Amino acid sequence: MSSKAVVPLPCALEGVRVLDLSRRYGYYTGKLFADMGADVILIEPPGGCELRSEGPFMLDRKDKQGSIPFNFFNTSKRGVTLDLDTSEGLARLHKLAARADLVIEDAMPGSQARYGFDYASLAAIRPELVVTSITAFGQTGPYANDCANDLTLLAMGGFLNMMGYPERAPTQTYGEQAVAIGCMFAGVGAMLALLAAQTERRGQHVDVSIQECVTMATENASQAFDLEGRVRSRFGDIQRHAGTGAFACSDGYIYLFAGGMGAARFWVNLVRWLRDENVVGSEILTEPEWRNPPYLDTPEAKNIFNQIFPLFCANKSKAYLYHEGQRRNVPLCPINNVADVINNEQLRYRNMFVNVWHDCIGQNVLMPGAPFKMSESPGRISRRAPELGEHNVELFGSVAGEHA
Amino acid sequence: MSAGPLSGVRIADFTWIGAGSYTTKLLADFGADVIKIETSRHMDTLRSTGPFKDGIAGINRSGYFADRNTSKRSININLKHPAGMEIGRRLVACSDIVANNFRPGVMDRLGFGYESLKLEYPKLIYLAMSMQGAAGPHAEYVGFGLTIGALTGLHNLCGPKDCAPVGTGTNYPDHVPNPTHAAFAVLAALHFRNRTGRGQYIDLAQTEPTVALQGTAMIDYTVNRRIAERCGNDHPNAVPHGVYPCRGEDRWIAIAAHDDVQWAGLAAALELAPETTLKWSQALIRNAARDEISNWLVSVTRERDAYELMQLLQTHGVPSGVVQNARDLIKSDPQLAHRRHWQTLEHPEMGATLYNGLPIHLSRTPGKLSRPAPLLGQHTEEVCIDLLGFTRAQYIQFEEEGAFE
Repeated sequence: MSSKAVVPLPCALEGVRVLDLSRRYGYYTGKLFADMGADVILIEPPGGCELRSEGPFMLDRKDKQGSIPFNFFNTSKRGVTLDLDTSEGLARLHKLAARADLVIEDAMPGSQARYGFDYASLAAIRPELVVTSITAFGQTGPYANDCANDLTLLAMGGFLNMMGYPERAPTQTYGEQAVAIGCMFAGVGAMLALLAAQTERRGQHVDVSIQECVTMATENASQAFDLEGRVRSRFGDIQRHAGTGAFACSDGYIYLFAGGMGAARFWVNLVRWLRDENVVGSEILTEPEWRNPPYLDTPEAKNIFNQIFPLFCANKSKAYLYHEGQRRNVPLCPINNVADVINNEQLRYRNMFVNVWHDCIGQNVLMPGAPFKMSESPGRISRRAPELGEHNVELFGSVAGEHA
Repeated sequence: MSAGPLSGVRIADFTWIGAGSYTTKLLADFGADVIKIETSRHMDTLRSTGPFKDGIAGINRSGYFADRNTSKRSININLKHPAGMEIGRRLVACSDIVANNFRPGVMDRLGFGYESLKLEYPKLIYLAMSMQGAAGPHAEYVGFGLTIGALTGLHNLCGPKDCAPVGTGTNYPDHVPNPTHAAFAVLAALHFRNRTGRGQYIDLAQTEPTVALQGTAMIDYTVNRRIAERCGNDHPNAVPHGVYPCRGEDRWIAIAAHDDVQWAGLAAALELAPETTLKWSQALIRNAARDEISNWLVSVTRERDAYELMQLLQTHGVPSGVVQNARDLIKSDPQLAHRRHWQTLEHPEMGATLYNGLPIHLSRTPGKLSRPAPLLGQHTEEVCIDLLGFTRAQYIQFEEEGAFE
C-alpha cells in the first residue's frame, strides 16, 4: 500500500467544469473555483484580455505573459482564445457550454445576447448550467449601464466615504477591493447555485451587483442611520475609542484594539502591561471610569490615553510591541508592509505562500496559495496562469483556436 | 420557488462577533437551519455593541448584531452544566456543520473539538475560523478585523501618501473576506461530501483571505523586490483617477478616465478648452500632468451638485460615482431600491428595523431573510423539545438546574 501514500488528496471541486469569460471583474471568482480543483477554462479574445496589459509586470517585462495581476488571478486555469464575433467562435463556446456546470461572465448587461452567452441562450443548450454574471450594478435597473471602475464602485457602495481622513477627500483601499468584494460574493452565489443544480438538475442565473455587494462592507453604518439617525463617516488615524487606533513606534506603526465594547475584556491586560513597564501617567488608567466602555468614547479619555500610550510606543519596535502585547493577551498588531507579510513566521508556518514555476521568466514565483485549509480536499495551485491560447490545441485540436 | 439551496442542512453555530456570525448568516439566509449557541454568562459582544434601537442599549437591541444574525435560531445554554452539555451533544449529533471562530483549543475545552467529534461523525463538516489558524507560533494571538487589516498589510496600503496609513476605517476582513471565503469553503465541503460521503475540517485563518486579496503586491515584492506604498487615489495608468469636492458639506465625486476616449468624454462634458483638451489627449502626457489635471477638476467640480455631475459624466461615458453615505444608500439610491436591497423586518423587541438584503440574486433559489435576529435564547425551548427530543418535564428540570443561565 506504500504507493497509496503518495497519491495527493482529491480537491473539493474536482469534476466541476467552469467557463470563465471574465473581461473586467470576474477573475477572482474563477480563481476560487480553480484553486479548489475545478476545471476552469479562461476564454480570452484572440488578442488576449485587457488584464494581460495591466502592471506591475514580472521583472518589468511588459509582454503578454508578464502581468502580475493576470498571473495571480488566473492560477490553475486553462486558457483558450475564441473570437466571439465569428460564428465559429460562438459555436465553440456553445460546445464548451454544453459540457459545463458554471459560466462566469462580466459583460455589460444586455450585451451578452449579441455574443450568444446570455443566460437564456446558454440555458437552452444545457438546462443544468449555472450562469454567474458579475457587473457594476446588476443586470437591470437605472444604473445598470453606467460606466464604473473600482473607485467609483467603492464610492457608490458607501465604503469609500468611510476611508480616509475627515475634512479631506476619502481615499481608496488597495487592490481593487470593490471588484474583489463582488467576486467573493459571486463565488458564494455560484457555489449555492451549483449545489441546487446537483439535486434538482436545473441551473439558474446568479446576478451579482458589485455596488450592492460593497454595501456589505460598510460595517454598521446602515443600522446606525436607521436606529440612531447617525451618518457614519471616516475618522482618519484618530482613536475610535481610547485604546483603539494606530500609533507610531520606532520602526513604523502598530494598531491597538483594546478599547470599546467588543474589546472590554482586554482592557485590563493593557493597563497591567503599562503598569508593569512603569509607563508615566498610566496609573490614571486604573481608575474605575476606565472600565466603563462609554467613557472610552469621550474626547477626554482619548486625549488622556494619547498622552500616555504614544510615548510608551515611540521607542519600541513593531515586533516587540506585537509579541509582548500578544503574550499579555492584548489585541495589538503591527501595521505591516508587504515584506513583513511575506516574511511573517505564522504565515510561513502554515505554508500560505507557495512557489509556482513561471517559464516566461525562468523562475519560481512565490505567491499566496489557497486562502483556507481543507483537511480532506485541500486547495492547491495546480498550474500557473495560461499563456495566450495555450490550450487551444488541447481543447479544439488546432493552434489558432479562433480561426480554425 | 424552492425552500433554499441549503434546506435540510443544519448548523450547530458556536460563532460570535463578526466574521463567524456573518458566515453562518449567509448560509441561514439560503435555507440552512442555523442554531446559534449562546450563553448569557459570556455573551456575544456584538449584542452589546451599538447602534441600538432608539439609542437605548440592550442585549436584544443592537442593529450591528441583528444585521449579522438573520434567519437563525438562538439557544441560551450553559455548556459547563451537564444538561447544557447534553443539549450541545444532541445538537451536534443532528447537525451537518459545526462552526466556531474561537481561539484554538477553546472548542476542545468545551468538549466539542474536532478530534473528539470526527470518529463519531465522519460526515461532519467542521469550520474553525481562529484569527491565525489552528497551529503555529502565533496561533494563540488575538485580534479584530482592524488588527487583521494591519497585520496583513492592507491597512498600510490605504491612505494619502503624505499621512499615516489609514486602512479601510472598518473591520473589513470581518465583513467580507472572511465570511465569504468561509461560506465558500463550507459549500465546497458540502459538494465534496455529496460526492464522497466524507466530512472534513476547515481551518480558515482570518488573516489569509485578506492576504490572498493582495496577491499583486505580494508578487511584486517576491519577484521584483518592490514594496508597494499607499498612493492616495492614484492609479498607475489612469489620469485622472480621484475624488473631487462637490457642492454641499462633505460631498465628493469619484471620477476616472482609463483611456483617451474616456478622457475626451470628460473634457467635453466639463467644457474644457479645445486646446487644453488636445494638449492632454494622450495618456502619457496626462500621466505627467496629474496634479495640473487634478487642480482643474477640483476647480470645476467644486460648485456642482454631485448627482447632476455624475449624470452628466455618465452621458459622456466617463466612469464616475458619487461618494455615497448610508443615508444616500438607504433613502435615495434608485439602483439599490430597484434591487430591493433594503429590507424591513419586524423584530420582537426592536420593532420594524432595517436590514441589508442578500447582495447575490439567484433567479430560481433566491434565499431570503427568513426571520429577524433572534432574541437571546428565544428558541431554547422549541429546539430542546421539538428538535432534540427532550420532554417538557426535562426542559423544566434543566431550567431549574440552571442549564439555561
